[in-house]
Amino acid sequence: MNVHEMTNDAPVAIIGFGAAGFNAAIGLRTNGYTGPIRVFSNIDTLPYSPILTSYYAGGELSYEECFPWSQAEVDELDLDIVHEGPVTRLDTDAHLIHTEKGGYPYSKCVIASGSVPTPVGFPRDCGYDPLMLRTMDDAERLKDAIANPGCTRMLVSGTSMVSLKTVEACLNRNFEVTLVGIMDHVLDMNALPEAAARFEKGLAAQDVALKLANPIKGVEVIEDAAHPLGRRLEVTFANGDVESYDEIFVAHGMRNNLEFVEEDSIVVDRGVIVDGFMRSSDPDVYAAGDVVQGTELISGDKRIVGIWKNAAAQGACAGRTIAAELAGMEPTRPCAESLAMNTISVRDTLFISAGTIQLTDNSHVEVEDGDTMTVVRIFEGEGDTRRLVGFNITCDVDEPGGDAYDLGAMLTMRLCEDCS
Amino acid sequence: MSLLESSDVYWNFLGQCTQCGHCTPACESLTAADMTLGGIAKRLLDAQRNASSAEELAVELASDPQLTQAVRGCFFCTSCKNTCFAHNDVSDLIYHARDDYQKLGLIPRDTYASVEVDKEWDIFTAYRAIWGIDLTDLTRHIKTEAHDAATDCEVAFFPGCSLAAYAPELTREIFETLDELGGKATMIDHCCGSPLKSAGFFDRAEALCDRCCDEIASSGAHTLVCVCPGCKNAMQAALDSNGMDVRAISLSAFLLEHGFTPKHPLPEGSYCMSKACQDRDGSCLAATLEVLGLDEDTVEIFHGCCGAGGAVNSFEPDRVDAQTETKLSFAPDGSTVVTMCPTCTYTYAFYLMGRPRELGNKHYAELLFDTQIDWDLVFAQLQGMWTGEYGPWLSQVFA
Repeated sequence: MNVHEMTNDAPVAIIGFGAAGFNAAIGLRTNGYTGPIRVFSNIDTLPYSPILTSYYAGGELSYEECFPWSQAEVDELDLDIVHEGPVTRLDTDAHLIHTEKGGYPYSKCVIASGSVPTPVGFPRDCGYDPLMLRTMDDAERLKDAIANPGCTRMLVSGTSMVSLKTVEACLNRNFEVTLVGIMDHVLDMNALPEAAARFEKGLAAQDVALKLANPIKGVEVIEDAAHPLGRRLEVTFANGDVESYDEIFVAHGMRNNLEFVEEDSIVVDRGVIVDGFMRSSDPDVYAAGDVVQGTELISGDKRIVGIWKNAAAQGACAGRTIAAELAGMEPTRPCAESLAMNTISVRDTLFISAGTIQLTDNSHVEVEDGDTMTVVRIFEGEGDTRRLVGFNITCDVDEPGGDAYDLGAMLTMRLCEDCS
Repeated sequence: MSLLESSDVYWNFLGQCTQCGHCTPACESLTAADMTLGGIAKRLLDAQRNASSAEELAVELASDPQLTQAVRGCFFCTSCKNTCFAHNDVSDLIYHARDDYQKLGLIPRDTYASVEVDKEWDIFTAYRAIWGIDLTDLTRHIKTEAHDAATDCEVAFFPGCSLAAYAPELTREIFETLDELGGKATMIDHCCGSPLKSAGFFDRAEALCDRCCDEIASSGAHTLVCVCPGCKNAMQAALDSNGMDVRAISLSAFLLEHGFTPKHPLPEGSYCMSKACQDRDGSCLAATLEVLGLDEDTVEIFHGCCGAGGAVNSFEPDRVDAQTETKLSFAPDGSTVVTMCPTCTYTYAFYLMGRPRELGNKHYAELLFDTQIDWDLVFAQLQGMWTGEYGPWLSQVFA
């Protein structure tokens, strides 16, 4: 083992250099920590925003615009960035982080290694590697695919935010797009049927073919010399329909990057279990972002809520907690509880949500169907204990600063007040 | 030490922003500046990086017209925040940026001299002094020749600067109602500090709120009734940070809770609600609709700033008129615009004075109480202040 150094003042280590990792560095530096920070990044570029990758693939943003932070900003944070591929092992007993090239000591460690998409459910042995979207490399591949003049028919599998932004990217390139999902409605993780149905109408109005509750059953790569791509993809759906596509995009789920965490070294359920200060069960290990099971606002349960805002807030909290502890103080400002909140538009069709759509016996749903907007409010309890726990807004118009956004912000605030 | 006092705030904002650009088209000022919210933080930090002294930093910032536009052209309407996928807090960012601009001497004094509301004389106190508006009998917690300092008040009333100055009789009528419904009342006769924050005096605004808190504490009141949602937000934040067990509540909500019956029936006609941008969660709007007996489904509600926010009139006066016009354009002729913040009422009244329309303009309190605001008188008196015997004194005080 090549241990690069071993001192009593080992750096604070950050595993991962996305929103959570970058904000952990900011949290450290803005809270008085002046010691060394070592970041383990498995990319050779600056941190990128996964949210912007679909905009890049769709031609709305340039490559450079996908990177929220500049080299000058990274330099000012004074980070030692290790580009040796993924971390292979976190040895919490020896306080060592291992890459393929060696081991690095740490005093405190933030796990901010994020997540990757998984093609779970896609026929793995069909000989076709589906398009997915998370990294800039994924975005490049998707961009190349939809920029290829020989490619005109796209099948998008999965009805999440990523899938829908991919639908938009394809529409911007005048593709024929089919959206396929396992459930009856789009946005099944975020929307109740009334709101989803309006969104589906918006998609249909943009000529997106919907195949809901009719997932992919099989894919066959057919060699076809007459096709510009030299092959086509014959897809069999659950209802027996067979159709031909040029490319298939898949967003079926996410898997967090925790392979390097040794079993029983820290408490991990579906993610690293943390307290309000992002501390894991190991006193020198913290976690933030998609790898974290933190306290969720509505339920009070420990859950993964993998969105940018939470990752940034959790990273910043981990950083300031470590800065306080290394200065011999108790941290004073815990992280806000996680709240699932999403906004997505596919051209003019806008969807905004926050909170939960999990209905219980105690839930009460109010639906308001207007000329341009459907608003679904989900309440729990009665009388004085009644609280707003979730909402969906689907609007036929995406007007920045418009009524739908105002209402979304208003309901988000009310939900936070009700549930805090 | 950082050259920018709020450097950490900008770093934290920068970290939270994806730079997706969604906020830009939500705001005319950001559009004119061609900037995102995160871009503001970025440019401030860039300028700091490029400067080795406060003087150099001031030059850097002053020579960036886009950044100046974004920082000083903000109404604090939060349209950009509402549109941001992460609801990143623009108000906090801009208030701090203005604070730094102020400290670096980048905001000229003549743009805020008349609204230094923590000094003895500002435009409101001068107006009241010149026109003999005396409400000292309502500030029961402060000893005067007529009364001792009361420490047993139940309710503190916070009318805000505009209402107390331009509608003293309405202020008095509301006060009497609070006294009747909620128990012994007193009036906190100060500003919430909003004009100071807009001018970049963050610390002074907070100090002013703290002074209000001290007075509330001395009065013994446990409820603070605010007419304007912005005052309510500022005061609730100050009460919380001072660890006080006092609840700030909007006048509408207080009246609802106490079973208030409007002093006169709502005149027939159509109503448009001008939602105050400081009413972030819409709770004041909901209570106001309810106390007025208006149905949310049948009343037109419009969002966005009236034009008075953020002291933009001291930077881009033309945009204020345009903003007011845009907002009023939602109201059809023949309808009545109902405002929640008295400064909005003032702003609309001023606009309509120059461009008359068949449009009613009422603060919600006017629809609940008997006294109405005489805007013709107010504007005549405001103008008269400067041309009458007090003109030279005012010019000197606000120079």
